Amino acid sequence: MRILVIEDDPHLLRSLAANLREENYAVDTAEDGEEGLFKAQAESYDAIVLDVMMPRLNGWEVLARLRPGCKAPVLMLTARDTVQDRVKGLDTGADDYLTKPFDIDELLARLRALIRRAAGQTHSVLEIGPLSLDTAARLVRLAGQEVPLTAREYALLEYLALHRGQVVSRTVLYEHLFDEEDSTLSNLLDVHVSNLRKKLGADIITTRRGHGYCIA
Amino acid sequence: MKIFFHSLRWRLQAWHGLLLLLVVAGATVPAYRLARDTQMQRIDKELDLMERGLFRALIDVAKATPPPASEAPQGSQFLGLAEFIQRLSSRPFELPASALAPFQGQESGYAYFSILDRNDSLLVKSENAPGDLLFLPVPATDLAEDARSVGNRRERLRSSAHGLKIVVGQDITPELQELHAMAWLHVFIGLAVWLCGLLGGWWLSGRAIRPIQTISQTAARIAEGNLQERIDITAMDRELGDLSHVLNQTFERLHDAFERQRQFTADASHELRTPITILLSETQRLLKRDRTPEEYREALETCGATAQRMRRLVEALLMLARQENRDSKAHHQTCDLASILQETVAHLTPLAKARGLRIQAALSPSPCLGDAEAISILATNLISNALQHGGNVEVSCSAKEDGARFIVRDDGPGIPAEDLPHVFERFYRADQARSSISGHTGLGLSIAKAIVDNHGGRLQVTSQPGQGACFEVQLPTAG
Repeated sequence: MRILVIEDDPHLLRSLAANLREENYAVDTAEDGEEGLFKAQAESYDAIVLDVMMPRLNGWEVLARLRPGCKAPVLMLTARDTVQDRVKGLDTGADDYLTKPFDIDELLARLRALIRRAAGQTHSVLEIGPLSLDTAARLVRLAGQEVPLTAREYALLEYLALHRGQVVSRTVLYEHLFDEEDSTLSNLLDVHVSNLRKKLGADIITTRRGHGYCIA
Repeated sequence: MKIFFHSLRWRLQAWHGLLLLLVVAGATVPAYRLARDTQMQRIDKELDLMERGLFRALIDVAKATPPPASEAPQGSQFLGLAEFIQRLSSRPFELPASALAPFQGQESGYAYFSILDRNDSLLVKSENAPGDLLFLPVPATDLAEDARSVGNRRERLRSSAHGLKIVVGQDITPELQELHAMAWLHVFIGLAVWLCGLLGGWWLSGRAIRPIQTISQTAARIAEGNLQERIDITAMDRELGDLSHVLNQTFERLHDAFERQRQFTADASHELRTPITILLSETQRLLKRDRTPEEYREALETCGATAQRMRRLVEALLMLARQENRDSKAHHQTCDLASILQETVAHLTPLAKARGLRIQAALSPSPCLGDAEAISILATNLISNALQHGGNVEVSCSAKEDGARFIVRDDGPGIPAEDLPHVFERFYRADQARSSISGHTGLGLSIAKAIVDNHGGRLQVTSQPGQGACFEVQLPTAG
């Protein structure tokens, strides 16, 4: 999952990015509205965290310019907590709204819910045959037995499971699993896929040659 | 009962009622007395006429009576009063029926008479004369007269020195009934006028009190928290208008103070939310698992810097609140602007040097009236604001006719025209500099403005983009 954080306070930006990376998200950062708008339009994100009070281009303007083309769920962060502010945020096209100061666990839970809903899922546990993915605890069980996965393996499996039945191209996977700071060595993806097949059974992920990967 | 005595309207009404009652009584009682006196005079005149008729009849009787042999010469037509009485009392006589005609019967309005001589022996009386008649005593000389009311009767009394006592009276029951009816009419009309007056007074006092009720209702609503509302003074009379004006001014000041307090709380909470979020985010992340010492150090540095930022912010907010709420000029004394600026410049020069900038000072003695500490903060804020925007700074001060003036000019990028009206607003940052990096809170110029306002001075800013900004402060001089 790849997330864009747009926040003008550098300390808060760094801290939020660190938190998200430790939760195995691929995180891109932008220090102001213009940079954030540019990145949001250039890349495809699974969720965007957007601060309202920013110099030059504030959160409302970023959201208004972004919305026609971008379907990524947007979580607004604001220091204002009046009802009018919330209504304005949700009406402009924000998907959720969080008032500073907030608990980091709440931010993470809301992001998980946003991503899940955007993929059409409503429950936090995904069931695929004998396989179950607990997206909140980030645990994978095969026939009731817990299977230890690395962070990247889990992220790959979760992305394919959330887009179950769709063929996901390698490019899309690179876009959503690695952020701007990761090196994009193409064989890395193959290594993760083969490791997953070893741990969960060869038929869990099918390869469509020339198109990508798919969980049926 | 207590509530009536403490109600202005009830007291007004009570006094008004009392005064009105006196006025009505003062008009009706004399009117009644006048009517009664007129009536009595008319009756007295009638009695006089009757007495005269009676007397003429008596004289005729006396003339017809032959005098005693030894008396005055025969044939004399003139009859003395003493002789007249003597003749009458010498023997019994009868009055002719025509003379007795008016003095008949006991029907209401009947007249009667009775005549005695000096020795109270009856000369003549009408048949219907009451038995309880009182006569005037015979005077030593001349004639005694009186008119009096006895029960339902009016009597005319006369006694002459020659020894004749006469009472002519009349029953005045019809006249008394008439007067009685008139008295009741007066009472009735008086009461009606009094009641109308009371109602009018009640209406008037209500009208007079209504603006007071409006004032108190508005004041009650304001006290409940609706601080924007004001008493409407357009339709008020001058006396109450003055009072309402004073009250409105008080509400205005209350509202301003309240609004400043609210603004302070809102600003403080708004500006503190981001640093608190940083502290929460960093500490919660750090505590999720064990870290290397380097990770701890890095996170603690972030937390420390954030805490410093909060400290600066809180100090600046408190400073601003203190300046804005300070009303008294008790701390103000004459001080030399030049020496305060000299100190401030010396204090800030190391900071300027660290940024590769210069501060030049051209200071001539300028006495001003103010709080030296506050003026020092004012100068510090203006100069460090100029340094922050990357300019060399020139500070000058001089004494002018209308006060002490100092100017802080920089050669930085200047302030865009659209930002100029807003530079003194809280947290307004013309260059959109981030507070956490530059270390300034966005309150420096607001504090400067508050200090100048507190001193009753003026603070103006002018700027041409690309040619720096110029802040000009004017402070009052002593006296």
